[in-house]
Amino acid sequence: MGTAEKTWVGLVGLTLFGALLAETGHAGWPLALAVMATILVKAGLVIDRYMEMPTAPASFRWALYAFAGLLSLMVLLTHGFGEALKRLTTIY
Amino acid sequence: MAIPIEATVGTSTLQSHAYTARIPGNRGIWVGIFCVLVEFTLLFGVYFVARVHNPEDFRLGPDGLVTRAGVAITLFLLSSGYCMVKAVEVMRRNRHRAAARWVLAAILLGCCYPMIKYFELNWYIDNGGVGQRGVFYGTYYYLTLTHLVHVTWGLLGLIWVGARAALGGYSADDYSGLEAAAMYWHTTDILWLAIFPLFYVLR
Repeated sequence: MGTAEKTWVGLVGLTLFGALLAETGHAGWPLALAVMATILVKAGLVIDRYMEMPTAPASFRWALYAFAGLLSLMVLLTHGFGEALKRLTTIY
Repeated sequence: MAIPIEATVGTSTLQSHAYTARIPGNRGIWVGIFCVLVEFTLLFGVYFVARVHNPEDFRLGPDGLVTRAGVAITLFLLSSGYCMVKAVEVMRRNRHRAAARWVLAAILLGCCYPMIKYFELNWYIDNGGVGQRGVFYGTYYYLTLTHLVHVTWGLLGLIWVGARAALGGYSADDYSGLEAAAMYWHTTDILWLAIFPLFYVLR
């Protein structure tokens, strides 16, 4: 099995894991952390293996990593500091 | 490609490897990709703001979505992305007909997304999931439908590069158009890989 096939299997496995989490209907920190991790790992796999970004210019590579990282960070921030973010984004 | 560079420091010779970075596809597609990323950064920003202002809506919202539709879309998009990886791979070995077949497979798998979305949206319409379920569904519709528009553009691009590959328009020396379409297609994958857990899984 080549790199592309292994990557596909990994991505499918993580997707099914996500579906399992969705079916449990749980909420809370473990779910938020799991969602954060799956976004990071899956996006990382696509960026590194499918898009072959390790051989691309660093600025291109890091822009994609930053996008995935920002989304993951926002999952944590909205879960842990929802009230503070609500105050920050309220227009009086 | 690795280019060995020798540098002499004092009495010792250091050998290092500098790597010439290669832009996958072409510069033009990357302008488009970065524009899409900026656009979706703003859209996801709205999602997170809506989420902190309506926590109850977002906690209950995923229960009203068809998780299996989200999973199926993810699997079809990932498989379609895999086919584009293979298309670029075989084109590097100058096998343009094989590349065209991989692109065709990518198109067919990619077309499953709008079809599933069509049935999913009809299900929501039949079950009162349109116009009256609050901010979660509003956010869900604008983000997923905007993504669908980008996937449609991607599919049109794949049809173009698939036809060009079939007609021998690419070679092992020049396949930047094919790779550019693949890069855009993978970007739509990345976007969906964020949309799926944020709407279908996270509570």
